[in-house]
Amino acid sequence: MRRRRKAAETRAGYAFLAPWLLGFVLLTAGPMIASLYLAFTNYNLFTSPEWVGIENFQRLFQDPNYIQAWRVTALYALIGTPLKLVSALAVAMLLNNSRRGQGFYRSAFYAPSLIGASVSIAIVWKAMFIDNGIVDRAGQTLGLPAGGWVGDPGRTLPMLILLTIWQFGAPMVIFLAGLKQIPTELYEAASVDGAGPVRKFLRITLPMLSPVLFFNLLLETIHAFQIFASAFIISSGTGGPARSTLFYTLYLYFRGFRDFQMGYASAMAWVLVLVVGAISFVMFRTQNRWVHYSGESK
Amino acid sequence: MKRSVLTATGVAVVAALGLAACGGSDSGGDAAPSAGGTADTTPVTLNFTWWGNDDRAARYNEALELFSEEYPHITVNGSFAAFPDYWTQRSTEAAGRNLPDVMQFDLSYLREFNQSGQLLDLQEHIDSGAIDLSGFDETLVEAGVLDGKTIGIPTSTNTLGMFYNPNLLEQTGVEFPDAETYTYDEYNEFIAAVAAAGQSTPEGYPIYGGGDYTATFWFFIQYLLQKGVTPFEEDGTLGFDEGDVVEYLEMTADLRADKAVYPVERGVALKPLGGFTVNESASEISWDNFLAGYVADSGTENLEITQIPSVEPGEKALFFKPSMLYSIGANTEHPEAAATLVNFLLTDPEVGRIFGTSKGVPADEEQRAAVEAPEGSVDAKVIAYEEAVAEEVTETTPIPVKGFGTIEAKWLELGENLNYGTITPEQFASEWFAEAEMATM
Repeated sequence: MRRRRKAAETRAGYAFLAPWLLGFVLLTAGPMIASLYLAFTNYNLFTSPEWVGIENFQRLFQDPNYIQAWRVTALYALIGTPLKLVSALAVAMLLNNSRRGQGFYRSAFYAPSLIGASVSIAIVWKAMFIDNGIVDRAGQTLGLPAGGWVGDPGRTLPMLILLTIWQFGAPMVIFLAGLKQIPTELYEAASVDGAGPVRKFLRITLPMLSPVLFFNLLLETIHAFQIFASAFIISSGTGGPARSTLFYTLYLYFRGFRDFQMGYASAMAWVLVLVVGAISFVMFRTQNRWVHYSGESK
Repeated sequence: MKRSVLTATGVAVVAALGLAACGGSDSGGDAAPSAGGTADTTPVTLNFTWWGNDDRAARYNEALELFSEEYPHITVNGSFAAFPDYWTQRSTEAAGRNLPDVMQFDLSYLREFNQSGQLLDLQEHIDSGAIDLSGFDETLVEAGVLDGKTIGIPTSTNTLGMFYNPNLLEQTGVEFPDAETYTYDEYNEFIAAVAAAGQSTPEGYPIYGGGDYTATFWFFIQYLLQKGVTPFEEDGTLGFDEGDVVEYLEMTADLRADKAVYPVERGVALKPLGGFTVNESASEISWDNFLAGYVADSGTENLEITQIPSVEPGEKALFFKPSMLYSIGANTEHPEAAATLVNFLLTDPEVGRIFGTSKGVPADEEQRAAVEAPEGSVDAKVIAYEEAVAEEVTETTPIPVKGFGTIEAKWLELGENLNYGTITPEQFASEWFAEAEMATM
């Protein structure tokens, strides 16, 4: 009797899972396995793939553009992600205090991220930073050299990093939820012991937030490696000027769809998966040192 | 319980299949052609796609409206994209054997798509008269023939020309060199003189004489032809070497060093516009059919076309290039209807009037005659230019090698880097050849 019901429940569970499972097998797992095969072939979309072994991978590391793509992407992830998290946490702490109209403020700060990944924002961003655009004119009054950011290879990456910092909404909302979890008694007790705001932040807020911080760090790092749309729009689909925005995914796209080298592009994709996987693995391994989950006895 | 499980599974399967079918219409690659040819009026639907801007889309919509009046049983779904995105879409469709019925095609991609028989051989429809090529120049039609198959038919022709902006010349007081005899050196002197004049636009931007023309691959091909070099050999190899490339790039080295060409920083930021179309650069080499777009972008009617410079005075070695072709996907289920559409777009005089010279000068005689070109209009200027240089057109169209699209894009990218000073002409040449070796294999 009980077993029958259990079996029925299992079936119902799988039935509800079915749409996701089918989607995963047909639209994710299938193409992934196909691309793993293609990574070892020469495939131009028109004729059948031809097996070339590890030739694609050997070519990767002799390709100056490939090295440049890693350089740009790594810089973006290393500089952009921490700054984004710092600003997200700072704003979350500002919004954590109860004040009138806090719902409005929270929505207002979250708004850029809602529309952030979209093409329209990238276009607006480009218009702001262009020659004689609003940022250029403001910069001139501060004595910065004129000429806009878009055409200057030294300023395109900072421009994209600023864009990602400005889209801090998603980690901010998660931080906010984390801050709400911290018992106020802790702060009260600390005040009684004579701790100042800096000390409270370092000794209470940060440790209590560490699981949320870890989650955000992991997610945002992975996101940083996937930057595509904004760079594509701002460089008018070139990765320029002078390869300064040739992000990994952008270069992968050019190789696959502009040069019709799908094997090469698949090899690039798998190297990216391995690298991002390795970074995530290392992050998980360092967890024990700095992430404190409540209820853990240490 | 059981029934609900079945229902849930059913819904899931339907949903998943719906997702999987997002790829588009199924491709019945080998559907039997329906009998009866043009007399067949069974309702059919065709997919037709082109690249271009809004202006072109408006003209196509007008032309397709006429088509549906004449052939009410054929419904045409039109779509368009910008040139680079267009080829991304087509190549993915080709991989799935799912190309649209009728497509605007470019010379530089014919070889790739022909490799695996993706494009329909139109000879049968030409023989049957469904596609009427009586008003076409035979050598031009040859451009769409590869490996004995007619896989594309040119809609129109264009050739390279030199655009200049008389308003800017007047403001800077620099005279344009003698168009019939000037060399690249004289053109370079002109560019330097305009920059040295030190004039600015009302917005305060300096006025330049021209951009670094060496950054465009087609201009290099034109230069090779002027030197008597065959750019692409019959067997699909390149007829030039790194030395030729370096020599060409060195032509503007001084202009780059003196910052006398249009600044690349501003050019990049202006995309998709350019120095010429924002009226800050006095001249530009380009395809002659771009005039309509240039007039629209720059907001001035006062732009002129004249001849390009040459290596030896007066020896222009021009060629007419099919500016675009129409092709039919080999997987089409309605080859007759597709041929009907192609024929209509190629030969209907009204269509010729609608497009004018915006796609190039029409290849079909009747369409050419139908272009209304009032004195001083864009169309009149383009037609007058092509008539003026007709004698200078001494070369056959270089049929691009396989991978042409890739090596052309690479040239542009390296040209940009050269102007930023991040690479030397020698590095440009070696990097470009490394890429070309892979792309043209």
